Amino acid sequence: MNSTNETEAAKDPILTLNSIEVLYDSVLLAIKGVSLEVPNGGMVALLGANGAGKSTTLKAISGLLKAERGKVSRGEIRFDGQVIGDSPPQDRVGLGICHVIEGRRVFEHLTPDENLEAAAPISMSRQTLKSEKERIYSYFPRLAERKSAEAGYLSGGEQQMLAIGRALMTQPRLLMLDEPSLGLAPFLVVEIFDIIQKINREQGLSVLLVEQNAVAALKIVSHGYLIENGRVVMHDTAAALKANSDIQEFYLGGGEAKNFHDIKHYRRRKRWLT
Amino acid sequence: MFYRQAGIRHRSYVSDSKLFPIPTDRNLIWFLVLLGIIAPLVVDSLYLNSYVLPWLIWTAAALGLNLVTGWAGQLHLGYAAIMAVGAYSAVHAARFGVPWEFALLIAGVSAAAIGTVFSFAAMRVKGLYLALTTLAMQFVMDWVLSHVPAVTGGSHASLQSPTFKLLGQPITSDAGLYYVAFGWCVIVTIFILNMRRTGLGRALVAVREKDYAAAILGVNSFYYKIVAFATSSFIAGISGALLVATFFFLATPEQFSVNVSIQVLAMVIVGGLASIIGSYFGVALILLMPGITNSLFSAFADYLGLQLNPETLAHIPTAVYGALIIIFLMVEPLGLGKIYNNIRDYFLVWPFDQMKK
Amino acid sequence: MDWIFLAELSVNGALTGLLYSLFAIGLVLVYKSSSVPNLAQGALTMLGAYIVLAFSLSLGLPLWVAIPISIIIMFFVGLGIEKVALRRLAGRPIVMILMMTLGLDIFIRGTTMAFWGGTSRPMDLGVSYDPFFAGPLLLSRIHMIGAGVSVALFIAIVFFFRSRLGIRLRAISDDYMASWSVGISVERGVGLSWALASVVAVITGVIWGEIQSVDQSLSLLLLKGLTVAVLGGLDSLFGAVLAGILLGILENVGAAYLDPLVGGGSRDLVVAIVLILTVMVRPHGLFGRHDIERV
Repeated sequence: MNSTNETEAAKDPILTLNSIEVLYDSVLLAIKGVSLEVPNGGMVALLGANGAGKSTTLKAISGLLKAERGKVSRGEIRFDGQVIGDSPPQDRVGLGICHVIEGRRVFEHLTPDENLEAAAPISMSRQTLKSEKERIYSYFPRLAERKSAEAGYLSGGEQQMLAIGRALMTQPRLLMLDEPSLGLAPFLVVEIFDIIQKINREQGLSVLLVEQNAVAALKIVSHGYLIENGRVVMHDTAAALKANSDIQEFYLGGGEAKNFHDIKHYRRRKRWLT
Repeated sequence: MFYRQAGIRHRSYVSDSKLFPIPTDRNLIWFLVLLGIIAPLVVDSLYLNSYVLPWLIWTAAALGLNLVTGWAGQLHLGYAAIMAVGAYSAVHAARFGVPWEFALLIAGVSAAAIGTVFSFAAMRVKGLYLALTTLAMQFVMDWVLSHVPAVTGGSHASLQSPTFKLLGQPITSDAGLYYVAFGWCVIVTIFILNMRRTGLGRALVAVREKDYAAAILGVNSFYYKIVAFATSSFIAGISGALLVATFFFLATPEQFSVNVSIQVLAMVIVGGLASIIGSYFGVALILLMPGITNSLFSAFADYLGLQLNPETLAHIPTAVYGALIIIFLMVEPLGLGKIYNNIRDYFLVWPFDQMKK
Repeated sequence: MDWIFLAELSVNGALTGLLYSLFAIGLVLVYKSSSVPNLAQGALTMLGAYIVLAFSLSLGLPLWVAIPISIIIMFFVGLGIEKVALRRLAGRPIVMILMMTLGLDIFIRGTTMAFWGGTSRPMDLGVSYDPFFAGPLLLSRIHMIGAGVSVALFIAIVFFFRSRLGIRLRAISDDYMASWSVGISVERGVGLSWALASVVAVITGVIWGEIQSVDQSLSLLLLKGLTVAVLGGLDSLFGAVLAGILLGILENVGAAYLDPLVGGGSRDLVVAIVLILTVMVRPHGLFGRHDIERV
């Protein structure tokens, strides 16, 4: 699968970030030049520590930055070849970018059914709405069982599935997931990642995945970007990243203990990369 | 103010928590106090007593509300009711023959007692629901003021305030009354300035930001909410009493109606939540605004040769007052205090910030 | 005790209460779709009534033309309020949003008064003032009509909130950020809710204008409307209707027995006490959501 995706990537990336910078409150520079590409129909992971700028990058793409008084101050974001300027989030959803925000955030007082309906484009016909809901329940059979309970009472895993299903209702071409594994039991993480992979294969949906759980993420994606302090410090195929000893040490855990000299060496190399 | 704060190096915690880290700041405050003291010599007594005096007393009152809303983060829409408690208890005490010093103390203590009742609402709920409860309490107080003749003499009655005396000396001169207001405002300001940098102030801010997080850190949020309400009510009570004793000379129920509560909150918000200097600005703006707009509109109408309906003229200040609140919240929700800071920060780095670009 | 008298008080109270519900529905509409307490609803009600009067008295249009025109105008007034005033405040602390709606209330009241002055004007719907006899009970016709309108509006809005548009509004009230993330235009949704509340304000203004004539005191309905909305549970339409009936009865019966004791005017006292007790005992009201910020 990797090889086919790489050739596609060369053809037409669905999303391209060209050294973007993000400014909060017109003073705080949160992202200092991030460039990345998501191949059409591919899966890419964005890794990094807390506060590295992963979520901010996603918000820059989906336009949700505006709600937090942030803006893209430099660089350009291209979706499907077109530059997305300053358009509001709902226009970007219309183009086919959907962002599953961090922490699930389902509509708690709506039932799962209503959650899905709320996300469907208002122009969607009743017929399509129904079949789309069926499709999502087929991916997440657990949701179908509880479709008329209030979403606030669902378990964490079910809420995450609902959040993803709700995003799928917007008919996205690019799905951006912000830490879908947050606070979930490991077996649920595996289940959710399997479903994401399945949707990616069956529907050709491109996925940009932000994760702290690098082990799980690198299993399903073809490429990975590593962000630190608002910059991309490393970019490679998933296999190469997994093999990289520095990544093993700092993000995957379990590498042999390193001495101080090696860490210094790693830091210096990182500076070169940026 | 407009000088550069260079060379502040704190070597100890004590020096960091000093009220004025640079001597110039302190000297500047002394200068302002001096201005306040010589004001009766400079300012015409008409302006002094119809503008400066109410400005100072309302500032003291607004600082009290700012304590509970700005620092402790508790919404309070019944502040005028508390002021009424102070005003009426002081006037009744003074009419009964109690010396004014004690009458003011009674005003503060009785207001604090009623204010503590308000704080019970704050223990149960916060945010919108607290605002609604305090608003309802204000309505109850309005009702009491207009329906219990024993307190106010009934809805259209007014209660004459006896001559204001301190230490047995009747104070009737314009300058004398002004100094009373000035003194009270200085006392409240000094109290709030110091409260900010002590444990109490930090505890209040902690309760405002997240009360259960504060509780986890060992800050008893219930206790501090009661303290905040009681302290601010004490200030409100004395401010209300002084307002009647030195400015209105009569106590009537309309002076402390629900609109007044909203007005004090507007002063605090226009000035800036948790900003002392902002409270001074906010009160000045809200108090002066009706007079200014009225004269502006009549001048404008005269200029155009229009004959404005007196009723229209009477309601324009209300509209402008509402517009002022809306515009402030739209443009700078943190109020005049924040605008003042922005201007100061701009001048602090003035020629150099141009170079960056 | 005179049971007929008590029954008459209760039924008339319930009818008046349904008219409070009419007002409260405007509050619930905005709260349910944006979690903003709309303290300007009183001023909007007054403005709505004055606009209807402006068309019917000044321009001489019949009421059945003036009311729809006013409804359309107020729809856009509501949209404008969201666009100008509230959009920038999204995500700000509640104290600022409250103050904004209070500022709007003061501004609208001041402007309306500056235009039309303080004299009260009649709103003549042509409803007969003769009492309606239901068995031994005397009922007011306009109150009955108003109560009917209130119930009809309640049913219409309940269905609206089940529609796809209504579901979106409820989603917005739950979570602004999540709504943006799935392409719901939060701004337009909140604007729509203000527009609908303004439309409700016109209807409230017309009916209350007929009952007590049109003047500044229309904006004082806010306290009663708020109490009804809170007692019903701010985001519950059914709660607003039921709480309206309850409060109306309580107020009417309570005032009848209290007024002789305290010399009149105890209605407002009853209302204020109901509000305080509701918040103290059951802040989420009879049917409200339970996620209220408790201490």
